[in-house]
Amino acid sequence: MPVDHKRINGPEDTVPYSLYTKTNKQSLTEQYEEIRKTGQRTDSRAFSEHRKIFVRTGAVSQAKGSAYIELDNTKVIVSVFDPREIPNRPDYSLKGELYCEFKFAPFSCHKRRLHVQDAEEKQHSAIMKRALESTVCLHEFPNFQVDVYATVLENDGSCLSAAITAAGLALAHAGVPMYDIITSVTMGIQRDTFFVDPTVTEQNICLYPRPSESDTEHGIVVLSKLHTHDQVSQFYQFGNVSLDKLNESISILDETCRELVPIVQKYLVKHVVKNLQRNT
Amino acid sequence: MSDGYKTLHPVKYYREFLSQGIRPDGREFNTFRPILLNVGSINTADGSAIAKVGNTTVVCGIKAELCKPKPDAPDCGFVVPNLELPPLCSAKFRPGPPSDQAQVLTQLIAEIITNSNCIDLRDLCIVRDKLAWCLFVDFVCLDFDGAVVDAAVVSLLGALKTVKLPLVEYDPALESTQVFLEEKKPIKLHSMPVSTTFAVFEDKIILKDPTLEEETLCSGVFTIVLKDDELCCVHKPGGSPLAPEELVKCIDESKLRTPLISSLIATTLKS
Amino acid sequence: MALCDAEKTFVLHGVQDNFRIDGRELDDYRPMELETDVVSHAFGSARLRLANTDVLVAVKIELDVPFPESPQNGKIEFFVDCSANATPEFEGRGGEDLAIAISNTLTTAYSSSLAFDSRKLCLLNGKKCWKLYVDILILECGGNLFDAVSIAVKAALWNTRIPFVKNVNIDGNNIDLDVSDDLCLCERLDIENAPVMVTVCKIGDKCIVDPNAAEEHCSMGSVVVAVSGTKISTIYQTGTGSLHPATLTESLQLGFRVAIRLNEALSKVLSRIRPDEEAGFLK
Repeated sequence: MPVDHKRINGPEDTVPYSLYTKTNKQSLTEQYEEIRKTGQRTDSRAFSEHRKIFVRTGAVSQAKGSAYIELDNTKVIVSVFDPREIPNRPDYSLKGELYCEFKFAPFSCHKRRLHVQDAEEKQHSAIMKRALESTVCLHEFPNFQVDVYATVLENDGSCLSAAITAAGLALAHAGVPMYDIITSVTMGIQRDTFFVDPTVTEQNICLYPRPSESDTEHGIVVLSKLHTHDQVSQFYQFGNVSLDKLNESISILDETCRELVPIVQKYLVKHVVKNLQRNT
Repeated sequence: MSDGYKTLHPVKYYREFLSQGIRPDGREFNTFRPILLNVGSINTADGSAIAKVGNTTVVCGIKAELCKPKPDAPDCGFVVPNLELPPLCSAKFRPGPPSDQAQVLTQLIAEIITNSNCIDLRDLCIVRDKLAWCLFVDFVCLDFDGAVVDAAVVSLLGALKTVKLPLVEYDPALESTQVFLEEKKPIKLHSMPVSTTFAVFEDKIILKDPTLEEETLCSGVFTIVLKDDELCCVHKPGGSPLAPEELVKCIDESKLRTPLISSLIATTLKS
Repeated sequence: MALCDAEKTFVLHGVQDNFRIDGRELDDYRPMELETDVVSHAFGSARLRLANTDVLVAVKIELDVPFPESPQNGKIEFFVDCSANATPEFEGRGGEDLAIAISNTLTTAYSSSLAFDSRKLCLLNGKKCWKLYVDILILECGGNLFDAVSIAVKAALWNTRIPFVKNVNIDGNNIDLDVSDDLCLCERLDIENAPVMVTVCKIGDKCIVDPNAAEEHCSMGSVVVAVSGTKISTIYQTGTGSLHPATLTESLQLGFRVAIRLNEALSKVLSRIRPDEEAGFLK
């Protein structure tokens, strides 16, 4: 690997200490079996219950618009900047563009992340762009691009959907013309269990098939919705899921996305009221 | 009305304010912005802190990993600091490799850590020549509004105070390592560096703890880092010249900040 | 490709009447040509031509060390290269985003062990494994890249010969692998459940599969459905525009149905090619 001269590099071959811990911790399969048996998630939520959301706008004073979102331990900050001319584009484009960058902070995950964007982060950026593009009135700023940057400070599951919801809020905060409020929810599937808004452990449970005789289904689904127009702006899934389960998950996610809308709305109204008070 | 004047003639706008002995944000020349510190809020890191100096926000997260010491320093561990100025924190930065400013600040922080000896690298060695801790100290700036180094150093102290490393046992015969998560120990902090940034406006007026606006309008910015009332390092990258007496005065003034910050850290850790 | 409004309306009306501009129905595929074992230096390769879309896939194998967090798994990596000759849009760095999207979708589609069991690539738990480099070269772009790439990748993996390891000598930390030099003595991958992708494209209020370049131009967005066996392994949306939940379900259904059909056809074709066929007098 080429040496990065622009950063301070540590010694080669460092290993996380968690690899050497005694394995008296429950394996993921055991944890899943326990959840199945007791019918209770580790944080005693119902399976279809979303975590409590904390959102705040205006977290970054230098940005045009910004939002910070917390789903318990998952913490994501998003900022949006003024439109600027699309760089390196010789021809004029009638539509504006969105540029999205999704990044994990180096300390945000169980395993240390590198500074350079990896494939997962690039994929997440593309999904974010995809989700936001259909809610922004791109024809309002031809030949310009709006930059949206999301940084995950701590990842405890569902960080992509948290970033999308926060980005929608940040775009509105920045005054970018939009068609609708966007909300997004993640779901983990393992056999017949649906985890709405999974934590990182629950996500790991859903990442691989758990040994079982039959019926091995698992996967992660992310759905983003535009509320008033009842449109799915983005849908992403991976794993191994049957079509019926998938349809079921769509309807559950649809419902949960709807539940988040009033929270986002409340914060937007708050922001508008505050601005009006300041101007009068 | 004043907004328009400010955008059109920012220097004039500032000059008029400063001639009255006050800064546009209502501060006097030598007042600090309020500092906020929050520690241990990121659970995935081994130690973490968020520091806010006015609007400037820096998150510091420390991740500890195991590695083999270097042959020329067999009884030393590693501290690897990196400061990131992501495009998120200001419109000045673009995605891609670290900007020049990020590289300069990273080097400055690395120097502060080594010069102040706040961490003794020998404390991080577990078994001589075989196993040592490597602390990855990553700073992410979330809001870039001047005096980033000051915020970074405060967050560094907060994060270092919360770091707890698990007990590690190493069997030289089998070359096997075992980590006990139940027994965690904090690391020892040997000193407390405190940094203060100043800006020089039109070669005369010295502004303490400048905002981004002030930093860009001023003709020079310099940072003084003290370690328990001793001078640790001074960073003055060019800019307008400064009389030695002025510098001494600034050093004396920045001494005032040390008790403030140590009491801030103490109260944050207590609560 | 630039289309004027009249041309777009023409395409749209055709789709509406279940009679597309090239005479196909909504769920019809264009004819395909598949050739395996085309790159002599690769461990496995395939070339697929789907109307004007031309894709070449080659598989390279190297020895590697498994990731510490998954010591029992081998590695598989996809790399997509959009040749600048494929379409004028790929000139410069134009194809980069698409290439990343395709390789990421392939990675996630192959990530489940039910779709592709990478444990079989592991030689020594935590110490040695095979790493498959799947290099995908897009030679010409005539629409529907995701589908073409997934079929070509599946065929190339089917064609892949993994060297046979005769003997493993462990001496302290040194591991010596004795790889058979007999070319006929090799292992094959199990690709029965390897995912097949189908792009469902929404034009007007109808959904079609296998869009050609003109149809792709008329569509606001499409859904890529990757099906492994009878389960869905990845869904990825491309393009701008949003869908009603009911339309989404409908397009998933269509994609699923077509993918199963496509997978059957592919298996039938592959089973007709006899593996390790000794042909010609030099072999």
